[in-house]
Amino acid sequence: MEQLSNINNLPADGDETKIIKEILQYIVIRLGDEEYGIDINYIDNIVRMQHVTRVPKVPNYLKGVINLRGEVIPVMSLRLKMGLPEDEIGRATRILILKVDSEEGAVGVIVDEVKEVVKLASDEIENVSHDSKSDKPVYVSGVGKNGNDLISLLDLSVINLEDN
Amino acid sequence: MDVSQYLEIFLDETNEHLESLNKQILNLEQNPDDMDTVNEIFRAAHSMKGMAGTMGYKRMQALTHDMENVFSDVRTGAIKVQPEMIDILFQCLDALQEYTDNIRNTSDEGTNDNEPIIKALNEIRNSKGGAAPAPAASEAPKEEAPKADGAGSSEKWNEIPFDESQINVMQEALKAGKKVYGLNVVVMPDCVLKAARAFLVLKAVEEKGEILVSNPPAQDIEDEKFDLDFTLVVASDEPVENLISVAASVSEIDKVTGGPLDFDKIKPADAEEGAPAAAEAPAAATATPAATPAAVAAHPGNAPAKPAEKKAAKPIANKTIRVDIEKLDSLMNLVSELIIAKNSLVSASTGNAANSAAFNEQIEYLESVTTNLHESVMKVRMVPIESTVSKFPRMIRDLSKSLNKKMELFMTGEDTELDRTVVDQIGDHLMHLLRNSADHGLETAEVRAERGKPPVGSIFLDAFQEGNNVIIQVRDDGNGIDPEIVKAKAIERGIVTPEQAAVMNQQEIINLLFLPGFSTAKKVSDISGRGVGLDVVRSNIEALSGEVSVKSQLGVGSTWTIRLPLTLAIIQSLMVVVGEEKYAISLASIETIETIRESDIKYVQNEEVINLRGTVIPLIRLNKVLENESKPSNDGSMVVVIVKKGDKMAGLVIDELMGQQEIVIKSLGKYIKHAKFISGATILGDGEVALILDVNALL
Repeated sequence: MEQLSNINNLPADGDETKIIKEILQYIVIRLGDEEYGIDINYIDNIVRMQHVTRVPKVPNYLKGVINLRGEVIPVMSLRLKMGLPEDEIGRATRILILKVDSEEGAVGVIVDEVKEVVKLASDEIENVSHDSKSDKPVYVSGVGKNGNDLISLLDLSVINLEDN
Repeated sequence: MDVSQYLEIFLDETNEHLESLNKQILNLEQNPDDMDTVNEIFRAAHSMKGMAGTMGYKRMQALTHDMENVFSDVRTGAIKVQPEMIDILFQCLDALQEYTDNIRNTSDEGTNDNEPIIKALNEIRNSKGGAAPAPAASEAPKEEAPKADGAGSSEKWNEIPFDESQINVMQEALKAGKKVYGLNVVVMPDCVLKAARAFLVLKAVEEKGEILVSNPPAQDIEDEKFDLDFTLVVASDEPVENLISVAASVSEIDKVTGGPLDFDKIKPADAEEGAPAAAEAPAAATATPAATPAAVAAHPGNAPAKPAEKKAAKPIANKTIRVDIEKLDSLMNLVSELIIAKNSLVSASTGNAANSAAFNEQIEYLESVTTNLHESVMKVRMVPIESTVSKFPRMIRDLSKSLNKKMELFMTGEDTELDRTVVDQIGDHLMHLLRNSADHGLETAEVRAERGKPPVGSIFLDAFQEGNNVIIQVRDDGNGIDPEIVKAKAIERGIVTPEQAAVMNQQEIINLLFLPGFSTAKKVSDISGRGVGLDVVRSNIEALSGEVSVKSQLGVGSTWTIRLPLTLAIIQSLMVVVGEEKYAISLASIETIETIRESDIKYVQNEEVINLRGTVIPLIRLNKVLENESKPSNDGSMVVVIVKKGDKMAGLVIDELMGQQEIVIKSLGKYIKHAKFISGATILGDGEVALILDVNALL
């Protein structure tokens, strides 16, 4: 009974909720001039840019496949998928290996740079509402406040293929 | 310890028995007087009864028990095999299959008592041959059996050295009014899981009484620390033959002997305790005088099945073990890795001429070892398709009854071997094709008579190996496919426009059957035709890197051909260069490699073709198809790889040949599922990924 009443009291008590808040880690990547945070739980690996074997007759954002320790992994250009200009491969270019859905297997995405890891408390993340009037797809699932900086959190449905 | 760990064995064996029963009962329908078949059926039913009993599946046990009784009567000649009896037996098998499926899914047999079947089985026994034969039948085998080694030689229980506490326990059991027996259980010499069998025996005996002593100790028996036999001392209220029969009902038990413990003969470890024990003996002996002859009689009662069992078991009993398919998969993966590593070594060694010849020699040796290893592992994964096709004769028989058409299935090549995963998956599709033949293909008896065909329709299932492929054909002598009906249907369904249909040839029209949402059955029946069908068959067979095609002649019959690759994971391939990219082409689909001059190219309907030794072959320029930049050849000659798919051929124009290589096929993953012309990828010796061309899609 005592526990029950405590729980009932909780919503009224603002300070109590902070104790159970969740700390989430995000890897911050750069795409052109934009920066995005990707939930670290979905990142399997980060590898240097390497030779990508082109696969013919697939959408242009699918750059091909790479060999990751004996496994053949498809690689996608995040830039092209999000409607940005073609990748400029440089020294900082990396391939992030993402594992979002265990059934679909791993997918590599090409990013211009991997910057840092930030920790965000769950109450420092705000969901953004999508503008339903706009036709342009939005790939941001939320915005995190990291000190004075704002980080757009990448909606990982971006790597889903359009069915056509 | 509980029986659940034996569930797998139980299910595997039950399935084997059911398969064999289906086959044998079909056989019996053809040859009702074949005693070997009857014995085989009796043996299978008997083993299933025993297994079901020990696993605690009472309903299944009851059903098999009644089945066994029927065959016991058939063996003695008390009743004759009748067609209606075969029908009931098949219902019986279906019920058993249902129990087995239930057990596999929920580890419970379900609640269906199948009373009508049991009743029908009992009616068979009662109706035929009058009143007298039935009891005679159950007695007969016991009396016929000449063997009487129950006493004397195998009374091993009298040779166990008992210690004081064990003798005390035995005496207490006697005082409590129970009878104390010795049991000697002999396991078959070729029994694979002795400990499991022994455990099932122990469990079965424990249900009837209390095991006081076991020699060797129970723990050793469970650890398989015994030779071929073990001895038990059991206290029980029941007569000894009950104990013997439950123990003997466990499969792969060769012999069970039993009798009352002779307290005169037992060897006490402590001499003082021997005297009172001996004093008890007469009492024990008098208490069970009837038991001894009964035990002797009971033993042969179980025995008659044994000679047949041994004879039949021999050919199957070549040395096999059951291996989890996952273990084989991981072995296969390791072999794949080894081959990739070997390829890296090969590519590292070439181009460095300074290396000694010995190094190259070792590389070649490694190459032959890995190739042999690969072949051996592949062979381990190969199983005959028999396990899948053996249920078809039964299915056709049932279809024949339900469709009211007379038909017969002829199968050849059941011993053709395929990769286990493929065999598991093609079963449903073969069934689908067979059903199609039975339902749509074969005509009714009247129509057949009109056309001058034999009244019984024939369906053929032929399997054979052809090069690196296995071909499975389903053929019937029925009506064939009417292109006009197919065409009309396709237009009605909006699959093709009338204009398109008008220019299609017969084969193209028949191939429309494989498109989604097509069913030509005029009425939907249980047997086939719900509109999901041939397109599913085709896509699944193609997922196994196979292909399916059909040829048909109206009024004469149809032939469905499934072509499957022998191996799935590792293939021999030809590596080629197109533009800057490397591609692999499966060696199995390559006919020849030709060098032609630009001037050899002719044009037919604006398509490039070459005339190769009298055959006109269309050219496919891979650089155009694959959309990459190709180096123009400077001397006017080009390399063409001639590939074939069934009867179709084409010449693939490439830039350069790299050579033959053994490659490990890797999937491109679900992300790139729409990659046209590409069937997979492989990792080359230098770590680079090369794509495998899908020749089937190119043609």
